[in-house]
Amino acid sequence: MPLSRNKLYILLTVSCIVGYIWIFINYTILINNSSNDIGVCIIKHVTNIPCPSCGSTRSILSILKGNLSESLYWNPIGMILLLIIIIVPIWIAFDYFFHKDSLLRFYKKSEKVLRQKKVAIPAILFILANWIWNIYKGL
Amino acid sequence: MDAQKVDMFIMTNGKYFESHQVAQIRDSLINLDNSKWSVIQTLQFKDPTISLIVSLLAGTLGIDRFMIGDTGLGVGKLLTCGGLGVWAVIDWFLIMGATREKNMEKLQQLLV
Repeated sequence: MPLSRNKLYILLTVSCIVGYIWIFINYTILINNSSNDIGVCIIKHVTNIPCPSCGSTRSILSILKGNLSESLYWNPIGMILLLIIIIVPIWIAFDYFFHKDSLLRFYKKSEKVLRQKKVAIPAILFILANWIWNIYKGL
Repeated sequence: MDAQKVDMFIMTNGKYFESHQVAQIRDSLINLDNSKWSVIQTLQFKDPTISLIVSLLAGTLGIDRFMIGDTGLGVGKLLTCGGLGVWAVIDWFLIMGATREKNMEKLQQLLV
């Protein structure tokens, strides 16, 4: 069975809620100035090498503090994630109230675009470059 | 189609599908036109065991989801460090079923 509208929307909603809770927890830790050693990354725990998206929490926290360049330094993926986490709930609410499936159609279309070689290869290169940068920074 | 051919197909490819789907696949293959046999015979399916191995090793990077064709979910896993590590663990248990579902989708495209 292909990914249905409701299944995708529930999945996205749950991930956004988890994302907001995660940011909230880390933000309170940041304000209280206690040491932040919550890490959930399996790769980092197992191999001690940061994964491509390590540092995105710190990146989002930097944006919340208003420090854009620091956020870029931590991890550019954090910015993408913050954009997604802001836009997706609004989009889902729009689709829900107007009984549409524009997000599902957008999701399927972007999946198709991502599978094209001219998009996939730069994307993979970006992730790899970011990963190498992460290891170099020693996040 | 010939029952013997269908049984041969089931024997070689049965492991790529959910057990409850096999009977249904057999029925629809028997009702299928003989001319489609050559296409059906050459179909390549994804092995659930391979995707489990990939999921165990590189699940945090979403490679398992990319492999079975769920590009969107793969990107989601990649960007969020395997869904904060939780989704990656959940997928160890889901990925074999998901692979079989994908195989079924692939076959169904030909059966219709």
